[in-house]
Amino acid sequence: MPRPIHITTPIEPLESRIKRLRIPKARQKELLAIMDEAWARLAVDRIKRPIVSVQRGEKLESASATR
Amino acid sequence: MPPPHVNPNAVFLNIPYDEEFQKLYLAYIVGLSQLGFDPCITSGIPGGERRLDRVLALIQGCRYSIHDLSRIELSAAPPATPRFNMPLELGLTITWAKLYPKRHTWFLWESTPRRLQKSMSDLDGTDPYIHSGTVEGILSELRNAFVRNGAPSVQSMMATYRLVESNIERILAGAGTRNLYAASVFRELCLVALDAVRRTKDAIKP
Repeated sequence: MPRPIHITTPIEPLESRIKRLRIPKARQKELLAIMDEAWARLAVDRIKRPIVSVQRGEKLESASATR
Repeated sequence: MPPPHVNPNAVFLNIPYDEEFQKLYLAYIVGLSQLGFDPCITSGIPGGERRLDRVLALIQGCRYSIHDLSRIELSAAPPATPRFNMPLELGLTITWAKLYPKRHTWFLWESTPRRLQKSMSDLDGTDPYIHSGTVEGILSELRNAFVRNGAPSVQSMMATYRLVESNIERILAGAGTRNLYAASVFRELCLVALDAVRRTKDAIKP
């Protein structure tokens, strides 16, 4: 097995790491808007999923039934 | 000449820039960002005689490097030729780390156990990380190689990976290219991965 490295160096703040990428502000906005939508969709999916399955009449298995 | 400044969280990625590797490339970017590292690649460094100097400077500026040799193989297009850029960059890195062991640590990555003994027997005694050619394998082995307090779970990193991956087409469309390895796209993927760190509850934050 390769030997792991234990990292103790502090992590640089996100702002300076993003600044170093030198992406024009307008493009940054576009990219963050794309990801805003994606994260929002994910949040909705996470909330909806169990509700949808119950509405469709699917039976939720109890913990004991799955064992 | 003074030695270059080393970014203690920068990881030089010595990887193939081909279509079959795209998912693993994205996994490296997402996984390293989630673990608090900044990935670096040679894409965007212009060709010519100064290219090698710039590649070496990039390696010297990174505290760590990952050399993924899983796709060292003969090209399909005739004449069948292996590409030697990656082994060359590995050689440069090993030399640099031998000269300055406190400034650089390198890791070997492969998809299959024992392939390395066949392709590069001079490295016998060096155990590679085996990712099995999967995104999950990359993320899991990144956590094994770089142990950091509070590291996110593979499951959490996978969720972030899937989210970024599902938006690749939109990112490429905006960048006006189909090349995921283009320097500008690489920087944009890093931005999106860093943005995910900000949004993910269990990602390592400064």
